[in-house]
Amino acid sequence: MSGQIIVQQSGNSVVTDLGRFRGPRYGLPVNGALDQYSARAANILVANDDNAPLLELTALDFRMTTTSDILIAVTGAPLSLTVGGRACPQWEPVSVRAGETVAVRGITGGLRAYVAIHGSVDAPTLLGSCAPDTVVGFGLQLRDGMAVETLRRVPPIRQPYFDMPLFRLAVERPHPGRRLRVEVTDGPDFAEFGDSANLLFRSEYTVSPRSNHIGLRLGGELPERTTTGEVLSRGVPVGAVEVPSRHELLVLHRGRGVTAGYPVLAVATSLGLDVLAQARPGDTVRFARTTVAEATAGYRRSMQQLEALRQSVITVFTLLGIGSPARWRELPAAACG
Amino acid sequence: MPALMPSAVDVFESGDAALRVVATSGEPEQDWATVHRLAEWLDGCGAEGLHGAVPTYDSVLVEFDALTVSARQIRAFVALGLRQLALSTDDGATPREFDVPVVYGGAYGPDLEYLADYEGISVEDVIRIHSSKTYVIRCLGAPAGSPMMDGPDFPAPVPRLKDPRLSVPAGAVAVAGRQAVIAPAVAPGGWQVVGQTPLTLLNLDRDPLVPYRPGDVLRFRPIAVEEFAAYEGQMMEARRAEAHPAEARS
Repeated sequence: MSGQIIVQQSGNSVVTDLGRFRGPRYGLPVNGALDQYSARAANILVANDDNAPLLELTALDFRMTTTSDILIAVTGAPLSLTVGGRACPQWEPVSVRAGETVAVRGITGGLRAYVAIHGSVDAPTLLGSCAPDTVVGFGLQLRDGMAVETLRRVPPIRQPYFDMPLFRLAVERPHPGRRLRVEVTDGPDFAEFGDSANLLFRSEYTVSPRSNHIGLRLGGELPERTTTGEVLSRGVPVGAVEVPSRHELLVLHRGRGVTAGYPVLAVATSLGLDVLAQARPGDTVRFARTTVAEATAGYRRSMQQLEALRQSVITVFTLLGIGSPARWRELPAAACG
Repeated sequence: MPALMPSAVDVFESGDAALRVVATSGEPEQDWATVHRLAEWLDGCGAEGLHGAVPTYDSVLVEFDALTVSARQIRAFVALGLRQLALSTDDGATPREFDVPVVYGGAYGPDLEYLADYEGISVEDVIRIHSSKTYVIRCLGAPAGSPMMDGPDFPAPVPRLKDPRLSVPAGAVAVAGRQAVIAPAVAPGGWQVVGQTPLTLLNLDRDPLVPYRPGDVLRFRPIAVEEFAAYEGQMMEARRAEAHPAEARS
């Protein structure tokens, strides 16, 4: 331990990671950061492993202070970030001195933001992940006054000239808006919806306030199943688009129950799920049909951008003498044979 | 002789990070054994980027990291796994047996009377039919690793609730369609709740979190309301060690 962050205004915040990948085989959802790209980017910006525990803030304002000097990065939905009262950039590493207050306000252009801290924070794990699971009652939901151990301190880094921005790492940012486009591939049960399946690509859907990390409910013109009869419970993928009622479409997200008995009409792509993670009640969603090959290629391009970011961060941090990730430190040793 | 002749399978795309593999012999026992043995093999094969497999009745969902492996590579693993199973002489883990006390009806089983009405039989018959069957745990389902079982032999399939409950307590013993289940954790639910067990199924300090695995067998035993408190807080445990495998299916 090197210090603590003290939560002053918790809003709706948790400590999470990329998910409990061993969970589904035991009947637990994967959970983890809903906007995976933003969560990875936040960790990469402070030279953490992609999967390091970080804070996920949903919709509400958040404030914390720190007992030691730390380095943070805030990603996700557009918002206003201040540190010690100074306006600071999102999607860049930001130095925070002991005693300063970090305030996140006005998460309005999307729904979720991520705060990564260099060296990460201490959080309990279940099956290898700290991701909260609301069903089994596991995880670190932050409360006002709660202290969380930070694992590394970083001496303050300040641009000496006129408080110019410290870094310009130029990360590709998602562009959430009130009209979202979500790519989907045909689901394994697409044919069960007959011609009505194509309604999914022609209609516009509105995000219901009853949406959460388990699934988003969307109102609009609904495809209808043309077959009848009980469906045996089956494992359903994150992103599954189902029509469980006559009122709403359901798109399952990372908190989904791993098995269900509804036919799977379509499946949101990995990148589409990041878009949905930022959907606010009232936003409109259009589904665009793609193929698994194209979706995979798009996902890999996006991960390559993060890989390029990681290289830039490692270069800059090494120059500044900020503790770098373990695999970087291993390099000279390997080179020495 | 192989212990299991795996069923032929169909493989369906399920997004960019999962495949659904469906066994197609039409023989429920063979299809179930195929998908569970395949899931075990996949979990143990150590393929990079393979997150895990979720087997149920006739299908298994295989989840993977689209960055490191492709759906095509995972298909090849599935084919390899099935070939390996066809050669294996291992007939899998010995089933363990669980004895589950249940208080039927009243506040513990609010749907018991409705169900008796719907089935056209008495409440006593519902309890008798439900508690006289030996159940095989077919898979771990939602929520929280629920033991999913083939249901009791009621005259007609059980309808789901028109208005699902927002909260069903842990330990709720429920039926729907031709299936039966126990809820390990508090969760919303649309199944008919006939009773409740005082035993605790879920233990977050244990890995895995629930004491049973697919293939284990389970029986329900009616107890009186007054007995509930005596069992409360006890963990659900296998009744006998695996010393008497021959009796496990008796």
